[in-house]
Amino acid sequence: MAKGEIVERVVSYIVKSIVDEPEEVVVDVIEQGPNEVVAEVRTAKGDLGRVIGRRGRVAKAIRAAAAAAGEEEGIVAGVEFVD
Amino acid sequence: MENVEIEVRARTVDLAIEAAMQELGIDDPKRLEVEVITEPTKGFLGIGAQDAVVRIKPRPASRERRRRRGRKPGNGQEQKRPQGRHESGKNGGRSGRPARNDGRQARAEDRRQPEKKEKTVPDDRPVLPVEEQAKIAREFLEGLVEAYGLEGEVTTRIEDDVIIADVSGDQTEALVGVRGSVRAAIHEITRTVLQRHGQDSARLRLDIAGYAERRRQALTIYAEQLIEQLLEEGGEIMLEPMSPADRKVIHDVAAAHDGVTSYSEGEPPRRYVVLSKVEDGSGSDSEDAVSNDEEE
Repeated sequence: MAKGEIVERVVSYIVKSIVDEPEEVVVDVIEQGPNEVVAEVRTAKGDLGRVIGRRGRVAKAIRAAAAAAGEEEGIVAGVEFVD
Repeated sequence: MENVEIEVRARTVDLAIEAAMQELGIDDPKRLEVEVITEPTKGFLGIGAQDAVVRIKPRPASRERRRRRGRKPGNGQEQKRPQGRHESGKNGGRSGRPARNDGRQARAEDRRQPEKKEKTVPDDRPVLPVEEQAKIAREFLEGLVEAYGLEGEVTTRIEDDVIIADVSGDQTEALVGVRGSVRAAIHEITRTVLQRHGQDSARLRLDIAGYAERRRQALTIYAEQLIEQLLEEGGEIMLEPMSPADRKVIHDVAAAHDGVTSYSEGEPPRRYVVLSKVEDGSGSDSEDAVSNDEEE
């Protein structure tokens, strides 16, 4: 299993479930170190606001969900929302 | 739930409304009646600055909105607050300035403008029946458990138009997190999914691996102990800051006990419950205790 696979799957599933244009969602998992990855999330322009949410609430929730996914793999996982 | 009314103090009116929506578990500003008690003032270099105070209650979703402003005698949380601690905005100027409450009753409709700006799509989403929403929530959660590579079962049921979702199975413990943090995150995300599908999304309660239920039981025992102490010793007990869901549990326990009332103070995330002994018979009906209808 590739490192960050669960993180990628979880983040991508969540983001695609939230946006209006799921086909535009791209999640790249980038290794930051031996036990650390960052999931870079890209969405259609109009969808980014929803993914981040009011005062970043949804973004924060996605980060927590991703961290839990990382734990399943024994790695630290972060999420970045790319504009 | 309709006679719940909460008063929130925050730096700006919008922040106060947002906090109140969270506390009441309402996502849709149209379902609120908002009364601005005090407009915020900046003061000079922070001196004399005054927070916004708004009073908010949910509006019944389908009925004619009511503009009942008065409340039943002895039913107001204010009356029960000891004068010393009560910092009402009514004569609210530390600077001696009278509160600007010139009949401004900004109702939620008036406030929709800023809301709209934040939306990225025009609101042409349908209003879905709650059963349909429950199905969306269940399917989303099932897919999520699978994405984590876990085995678990998702059930949903509907009680009083509230969707109650339960994710169970040994492995789903991984989705609880430290002090329920992951559960809370998944709750937020599931709500967002529902909002995407339709407007006026139903309230959602989510439990994972029995965490919320265990937490509720522990909090209930804790609150009962405090109430017992309060009834013996009188006065008030301020609890530590809690989430809306936890505060709701405390309010519910207080409402079930005679002689005790409860209310919330402070701004999220430092908002806390105060338990207060009702000193005489008047207005001590626990049914009338402020029970913020805090969701989930």
